[in-house]
Amino acid sequence: MRFEPTDKAVEVRAGSLIGEAAHEAGIDLNMPCGGQGRCGRCAVIIEDGTVRRRSSLRLSDEDIAKGYALACQTVIEGDAVVMVPPQEKIERRLTTDKTAAEVTVPFDYDPLRDQPLRAVYLEIEPPSLADQTDDWSRLQRALRREHNIDGVETDLPMLRRLGSILREADWRVTAVLEMDAYHRPDGPPRLVDVVPGNRTERLYGVAIDIGTTSNVVYLVDLLSGRVEVQRVDYNAQIARGEDVISRIIYAGKNDGLGELQSLVLKTLSKLLERVAKRARIETTDIYKATVSGNSTMLHLFLAVPPESIRLTPYITTVNQSPAVMAGELGLDINPNATVDCLPGVASYVGADITAGVVSSGMADTEKLTLFMDIGTNGETVLGTRDWLIACACSAGPAFEGAGVEHGMRATLGAIEEVWIHSDTFEPTYRVIGEREPKGICGSGLLSLLAELFVTGILDKSGDLQLDLDTPRIREGEHGDEYVVVWADETDTGGLASKHDIVITEVDIDNLLRAKAAIYAGYTVLAESVGVDPALVEQVLIGGAFGQYINIEKAIQIGLLPDMPWEQFHFLGNTSVRGSYMALLSRNVRQQISEAAGRMTYLELSADNTFYDQFTSALFLPHTDIAQFPSVEEILTNGRTETTEREKVCAA
Amino acid sequence: MTVEIPVEKWPGQVREITLGATADEGGTRSHTVTVGGETTLPFLHFEGEIPHPPVVGIEIASRRPDDWSPLLLETWSDVVDDPAAWAKAAEEAGADILLLTLSLEDSVDDATSAVRQVLEACDLPLIVFGPGQADKDNELIVPVAEEGAGERLVLGVCEEKNYRTIVAAALAHDHLVNSRTPMDVNLAKQLIILIHDMGLPLEQILMDPTTGALGYGIEYGYSVMERLRLAALQGDSMTQQPMLVTPGEEAWKAKEAKVGDDVPAEWGDWGERAINWETLTATSLIQSGADLVVLRHPETVQRVQKTIDALMAEAGEPELVAA
Amino acid sequence: MALSGLEIYKLLPRTNCGDCDFPTCLAFAMKLAAKQAELADCPYVTDEAKVELEAASQPPVRLITLSSNGHKVEAGNETVLFRHEKRFFHKCGLFVRVKDTDDLEAVKNVASEVDGFTVDYVGLDLELDGMAVEAASGDPDTFAECVEAVRSATEKPLILIGSDPDVLKAGVASLTAKASGTVPLLYGATPENWESMAALAKKADVPLGVRPGGGLEELAELTEQVKGAGVQNIVLDPAARDFAGTLTRMTQMRRLALKKNFRPLGYPIITFPGEGAEGPEEEVVLASQHIAKYGGFIVLDHFSQASAYPLLVFRENVFTDPQEPIQVEPGLYEINDPTPDSPVMITTNFSITYFSVANEVESAGVPGWLIVADAEGMSVLTAWAAGEFDADRIAKSVNATGVADKIDHQKLVIPGHVAVLSGELEEELPGWDILVGPREAVDLPAFLKLGNE
Repeated sequence: MRFEPTDKAVEVRAGSLIGEAAHEAGIDLNMPCGGQGRCGRCAVIIEDGTVRRRSSLRLSDEDIAKGYALACQTVIEGDAVVMVPPQEKIERRLTTDKTAAEVTVPFDYDPLRDQPLRAVYLEIEPPSLADQTDDWSRLQRALRREHNIDGVETDLPMLRRLGSILREADWRVTAVLEMDAYHRPDGPPRLVDVVPGNRTERLYGVAIDIGTTSNVVYLVDLLSGRVEVQRVDYNAQIARGEDVISRIIYAGKNDGLGELQSLVLKTLSKLLERVAKRARIETTDIYKATVSGNSTMLHLFLAVPPESIRLTPYITTVNQSPAVMAGELGLDINPNATVDCLPGVASYVGADITAGVVSSGMADTEKLTLFMDIGTNGETVLGTRDWLIACACSAGPAFEGAGVEHGMRATLGAIEEVWIHSDTFEPTYRVIGEREPKGICGSGLLSLLAELFVTGILDKSGDLQLDLDTPRIREGEHGDEYVVVWADETDTGGLASKHDIVITEVDIDNLLRAKAAIYAGYTVLAESVGVDPALVEQVLIGGAFGQYINIEKAIQIGLLPDMPWEQFHFLGNTSVRGSYMALLSRNVRQQISEAAGRMTYLELSADNTFYDQFTSALFLPHTDIAQFPSVEEILTNGRTETTEREKVCAA
Repeated sequence: MTVEIPVEKWPGQVREITLGATADEGGTRSHTVTVGGETTLPFLHFEGEIPHPPVVGIEIASRRPDDWSPLLLETWSDVVDDPAAWAKAAEEAGADILLLTLSLEDSVDDATSAVRQVLEACDLPLIVFGPGQADKDNELIVPVAEEGAGERLVLGVCEEKNYRTIVAAALAHDHLVNSRTPMDVNLAKQLIILIHDMGLPLEQILMDPTTGALGYGIEYGYSVMERLRLAALQGDSMTQQPMLVTPGEEAWKAKEAKVGDDVPAEWGDWGERAINWETLTATSLIQSGADLVVLRHPETVQRVQKTIDALMAEAGEPELVAA
Repeated sequence: MALSGLEIYKLLPRTNCGDCDFPTCLAFAMKLAAKQAELADCPYVTDEAKVELEAASQPPVRLITLSSNGHKVEAGNETVLFRHEKRFFHKCGLFVRVKDTDDLEAVKNVASEVDGFTVDYVGLDLELDGMAVEAASGDPDTFAECVEAVRSATEKPLILIGSDPDVLKAGVASLTAKASGTVPLLYGATPENWESMAALAKKADVPLGVRPGGGLEELAELTEQVKGAGVQNIVLDPAARDFAGTLTRMTQMRRLALKKNFRPLGYPIITFPGEGAEGPEEEVVLASQHIAKYGGFIVLDHFSQASAYPLLVFRENVFTDPQEPIQVEPGLYEINDPTPDSPVMITTNFSITYFSVANEVESAGVPGWLIVADAEGMSVLTAWAAGEFDADRIAKSVNATGVADKIDHQKLVIPGHVAVLSGELEEELPGWDILVGPREAVDLPAFLKLGNE
């Protein structure tokens, strides 16, 4: 089996898939659907040889005639030569000015009170013929005498290094101790590291959030509590599946699990190197990591098979994993550092949500609060300090720009907001980076959908009105569509290959389903405990996408409940914030566990009212317009053009 | 002991809708039929008004429907090839209204002439359904709407995937439409909203939530109709349309009604079983809120009408039965 | 009145200890509210809370059980007026009445016909529940003889009908003498005879039907009297017989029990549709009304297969749990007499899915083999996502049905929603061609006709 243009050859068993052979040959093929033959992105050209196509779902007859085949669905039956077209590179510009906001220390941080990690300077009496105490006991004695720290424990690898460190440092060292940890709250203290000289002026840990899409690392100075550096990057697993289901399926393939784990570790390593470099430290100077993420991400991070998450009755292997040593896991920080994965509640309500519920203050308020993570899994929590109930409502990745014809992530060139004139049906839009647009990101899609609806281009069921007098509404390749940007105004490729940026009826269906799932999840939660949804006092919106949402438009399409705007609070990435707070404080860490223990998970697939609520929400804004009085008002009386809108239109 | 009978105060009322038009109103019917207007659940006379009893229709076809059960074809054998004669026979069998189903094989002329003949042959208000394939329905129903202008026909079938053309035809010629959705409360309401948003007054829209036959999902249709009727009485305007269902068609699709041979012996006598199947399908839907049921067998029509009469009778003092 | 999950939660210890096997107290409270858990499973609930919760959880309609020889009919424990609100719990009992003035042989024949009547419906064996024997003769011996004749033909539960306690007593005696654990229903106590009837019921420890002389006031009064005489298990006669009258009365009774928690009417209802109908054709219709609208025990005067079958199916449909739609028996279904060259299709065992597919194929007049795979009663898409309808499961279903031996081709039509499985399926089912069918059942006829051409 030979791959062009790299001319890499590999020997595989007959019956292997081209995708497997490519992996063997070290060729990186994009498989956003996880190798299910759904997305068509792993198409290769068969130049020569015998293969059998199990499925060619995304390929046209013409493509097949040209020799195209899906690498994940094509079986090698003899020698073959395969051409790998250039792989779309994942855009690496995630951090916009919006995401890198200053992080404030969340509470009055006192490291001695809150932080279980300590760095203590020791000037140890060297041994002599008169004092024959062994090195380890000598260190323990110094800790006891100078710092009143008793009963410190260590392990063999530490002891193997101890003698030389002490002597090289001339018996003046800094001991890094973990006084206690969540899994052993009463100690005893554990010796994490011994380094030469006095290094007590600094002590670092990292807060990590492993998102399905992006991974975030905060480097935290544990003495001041401040976030020194934050970095974010796409989770390299994306190439093996865009959503958790695709990744679970991929993990079930030959060594897929190992591969996915090493991909996320690779992403984290890069991030860790970058934060360390920025802070002018070594990654081994990082002595602790708290990790948050959804249940699938944490399973993959720990290489625990996630298969059962996907299958009924949707059970994780572990919601609260035990602490592990970084070295054991291969996480690129001090090998003797504790890696503390925060606890989740269920397959689709993970540590990212428990962390979010605590960091947002929801776990400690008397107000009836709704917490929503508007992302692929649409996790929603309802409750107060006394009770919490959560669900996940598989909204799909439409609001993250995936599964939408010209959707893209919120990076440079993405349309992030749209306005449409109600008489001419002409759009105005704003592009991230103020340049020619490449596509539309989630917030842009949301605002586009709302504008299409309130201007009457879409009817309440989401159908485009073909009889309106504008060339922008037309029948396209994938059904009816609305042209947002004509080809020559875009940045969609070379001059010859520029294309119109459109939203198709398939896209609109996907977006409607996403918003309906999220709204339905919230109504079912309220119904399940017998609470009137109108009594909700505040809505906290987490998730990376959350911070860009225009509330007015989100209400117009029926994604968010129709409440006064001041009741909504956008919190950004509450998961990494929870991870950060847990890193700082054993108290917060305890609260997250308590919240997880208190949170009742409602499995929507076992709940028949969900389907009903979902169908009801699968309408603009909702089948029951009485739940959206402000939208009804707009539909009856027309909207008053806002000043902001006029300003933009004029511009 | 005093017992306080719980009486619900329903804020809502089912809309009154009139089918057909007399000469005075621009049509040719001898009388019109009005349905709806209820202010309580079916037949609970003690707490509200039921101004119009549910109405029974008979389904006839523009040409011999070969896929119908032999039992039906035999019953109507004298008229099954002639829509006008069939219409007359159905009127004599006691129908309050007629449903004329057009065929896939009909040309535009076939369809309009069938409608014309039926209108001339009988005095009842008329529902006309296309054969049930979007393109063909649109092709036939538009000229039918024109042919029947002034008659206040009910045109169908409007479904989510195909309602615009038929609604436009109804708007142009002042007809009614049948809004059909697949056994779901929300979908039923959504299509009413969409049709109404096209400009058709709510007084011209019947709601057809569809049903399964007895043994074939009737419980879904039954509960959906109960829920729709409760919503209507609770004041949800878009669910306040009178409900039309076609238990005849559904019941006679079921093997229990359709077939006499090669069925289990314990199913009993075919004729009686088939009539029971259609009757129970229809009467239970009437109990759950149907205002208009369309049937196929004349014997069922008799039984269902008798049941409606009995249910419309104000509950008197109970007759005491000696044990 | 029933409490919501949150209201119950506030009465629980709220320690989330997990000893009840639910992860949190709120989860347990929600299960309690849904009547899917027992309060006794919480070892730490306080006595005050227990009293409050138990009062709230008492069934508004008392459960009444008739039994004999291992057969059992239960009615009551209902909690809703409309089945979509939760579900109707206990299928009403269907009985057929004979009189002791009828010819004994004829009585025996009816009883054995009723006894032997079993009809298959989606894999379930549907049966009537028992016989009612009426003491029309007024003579204890004749009645006892008739009861014995019925008993000789069927072991199913009985309802003994009469107004003379002495006559009924003979019937009870002949029943209970033969087998212990036999619990018939005695019907019934009237304003005239209630004292002795209640005494008889109490002594024999059997439930008692009560029939007032007038409306609901009289009924409630009589019930309280009977209860006062020590009879706990009561069945109510709505004292109406016709369509409109029974609908009104029975609706009012269920509303009073549920919404007002009115105890004197918190019992199952017995009806006699034959007495309110003109002839057997109408009796079926009225009986079906009583099945849907709050009947507990329904006594028919006529039995025929052609009416019993639809009634039993209707009862099955009405009492289906709307939360758990019925599943179809997995296996191979033949539609329109398929031949070896007819197409083979596969779908899941969710009843609606099955019915829509089967109906479309059947009404299209196209012969076909339909394989129903065991997908835990889920629809195609849900089952696929949950891994209950994957290539492995489909292949197993195809092989288990042995359809390959009945056809002379190897083509399998899969639902359009699982088109992605076609590749894997060709591996799992070597030699088969996998054809991707339409996503919706309504498009099947067109698809199949296209295939034929």
